Amino acid sequence: MRSARILLTGSVVLSMLAAIGCRKEEEAPPPEEKVEKVEAKKPEPPPAPKVPGVSDTEIVIGTTSPQTGPAALWGSVARGTACYFDMINEAGGINGRKLKLEIRDDGYQPARTVAATKELVEQVGVFAMTGGIGTATGLAVKDYLAEKKVPWVGQGTGSTKMTDPMAHNLFAMFPTYNDEAHLLVKYITENLKKKKIAFFYQNDDYGKEALEGARKALEAKKLKLAAEVSVEVTDTDLASHVMKLKKAKPQVVILWLMPKHAAITMGTAAKLKFKPQWITGSTLSDAAFMHKITKGAWEGVHFDSFFELPDSEHPLIAKYKAAYDKFALKRNDKELWSTFFIAGFLFAEPLVEAIKNAGPELTREKVIAELEKLDKWGGGLHSAVTFGKDNRRGVRSVYLAKCEKGKAVKTSGYITFGE
Amino acid sequence: MLGQLVVSGIAIGCCYAMIALAMVIVYKASEVLNFAQGELAMVSTFVAYSLMLSLGLPFPLAAASALLFAFALGAVCEFAFLRQADEPTLLGLIVITLGMEMMLYGAAGWIWGADTKSFPSPISDTSVYEISGIIISDQDLTYLATALLLAGLLFLFFRYTRVGVAMRATSQNESAAKLMGIRTQWINTFTWGLSSVIGALAGILMAPRTMLDPNMMMDPLLKGFAAAVLGGMTSLPGAALGGCLLGVIENLVAGYISTEFKSVVAFVVIVIVLCVRPAGLLGQEEIKKV
Repeated sequence: MRSARILLTGSVVLSMLAAIGCRKEEEAPPPEEKVEKVEAKKPEPPPAPKVPGVSDTEIVIGTTSPQTGPAALWGSVARGTACYFDMINEAGGINGRKLKLEIRDDGYQPARTVAATKELVEQVGVFAMTGGIGTATGLAVKDYLAEKKVPWVGQGTGSTKMTDPMAHNLFAMFPTYNDEAHLLVKYITENLKKKKIAFFYQNDDYGKEALEGARKALEAKKLKLAAEVSVEVTDTDLASHVMKLKKAKPQVVILWLMPKHAAITMGTAAKLKFKPQWITGSTLSDAAFMHKITKGAWEGVHFDSFFELPDSEHPLIAKYKAAYDKFALKRNDKELWSTFFIAGFLFAEPLVEAIKNAGPELTREKVIAELEKLDKWGGGLHSAVTFGKDNRRGVRSVYLAKCEKGKAVKTSGYITFGE
Repeated sequence: MLGQLVVSGIAIGCCYAMIALAMVIVYKASEVLNFAQGELAMVSTFVAYSLMLSLGLPFPLAAASALLFAFALGAVCEFAFLRQADEPTLLGLIVITLGMEMMLYGAAGWIWGADTKSFPSPISDTSVYEISGIIISDQDLTYLATALLLAGLLFLFFRYTRVGVAMRATSQNESAAKLMGIRTQWINTFTWGLSSVIGALAGILMAPRTMLDPNMMMDPLLKGFAAAVLGGMTSLPGAALGGCLLGVIENLVAGYISTEFKSVVAFVVIVIVLCVRPAGLLGQEEIKKV
């Protein structure tokens, strides 16, 4: 019995080694040929510097994404970007090159984002990065990508720390949480005419920046938050958190959480007979989806967003929906046509536009220069993307909406921050 | 708020208690800490979900089938991985359970997808009763009832059935049990199966609340483990008591100190118990005579 077991284990290990060994042989360079000539050769000119991730036929773009883990609901963003690239490739690519998206799962854990990003830049050799989800995850790789001068567009976070201090390579496609929370508080106090507001936030930079925005907005009106309750990413039982919120008897509760926690909060609140007006930022703006997983408890939630809704009549939405019908379900047969999926298109749109404008002689610096030229660009899902020599924040306006009969319905036009 | 925190704490504590019971049963039989407990439960819960969604089975039938599946899964894991280990050390066995945990987690994500789903359940999400200001939901009552029923059934099982007595004998003294004609290897397999069923029951009950995804049992597993340590790894009533206590302590800390420390409570409890009274509240000190 024992020798049989050793034999089995040994053969499994040997076959694994053989498989790895065979791969290595393919990659080993061929043996050098004997040099017959004796005369000295003229020194050859140095080869032209190769642009990483760009070949004659394709451009490789990387993204990290929570494909697994507690934030997996945001994983559809990366799959949206993949669908976008499929759509572009079907139409011939950009200047004769196809786009290749390399997705790496980081499970919403910053340590894994660092490892995945390094792999993409150093081993896969990507030309640029797009998307990425999270504040902590984004901040973890900000300095690294700046050092490596990799153009990076559209990390899914509204943290001010992404653009302040400004990094030459990093272009943000998200309104700041500070601004969003500020605007929501303004909306609550001036339009909904409610003053008792509680804030339920994730206990990291993501939630805390929004909290700051809300606090400042209320201070300006000489008011304070009725309660500030935090939750950790790993928590699963939110009964005590919701009880604390309920104790403060707020009229409105602002949520700044992962979709999973928002869904659990709805269920827990229903069980505690706690029914405030719920308000969220754009990170939970996928009303139809949230309505589905909360079994309808999401009805009546107000939120803000900054790009077209899934059933908008914008021509691009129709175009992207056709791409979804064609490509997305092949990748993942359970993919939903949802706000999070569409966000994957939005975050990559400026990068695609810049690559197009940079022409066939593609370099990273050219793409960054083209991105800086975008001024009130309405060619994508957001109506006015603006960057500049000293501006890396492309989105500065949002609109308000609410969940009505299970769908997202706009309740305002675009509001620009600072107005 | 105090009363509400305590009542909700007991309710979720019953779930922790069920997981703790599952872990204690395995520990008593073989001194192995089963870190795959959570994932065994999670996979079985996913099976129930699939049965309800794809085959349209009604909840009781789907749940019962999932529990049978859980038994088979636990038994197969023990047979295929633990039993095959050749003269393993205790630590080696625990590492094997960690490996099983990772495999099951990966398999679940691969088969069912990583995104969160809502779990259909006949227990109403919104039906609640209010007694002198404290709100108790149908779900809370179900947790309490199930935990009590389970405790009662296990008590009867271990005292009055042949298999139960055989399990107790095996855990007390394996060689003596063998000499008495008990097939201890199969008893171990059965133990794992039973433990997996209890875990799966906890998973199916918790899923409507924690939502269904491959991560759903990671946090409850740690809490269940802490509850088992608190109550005594060798005591079944201890596990149940530990679970309820932990649920209440957690809620009180979150409610009165800060929600930031809620997750830390379980670990602090483990450290304190192991320092002050390693056998747990109801466990028995192990005295080895030399």
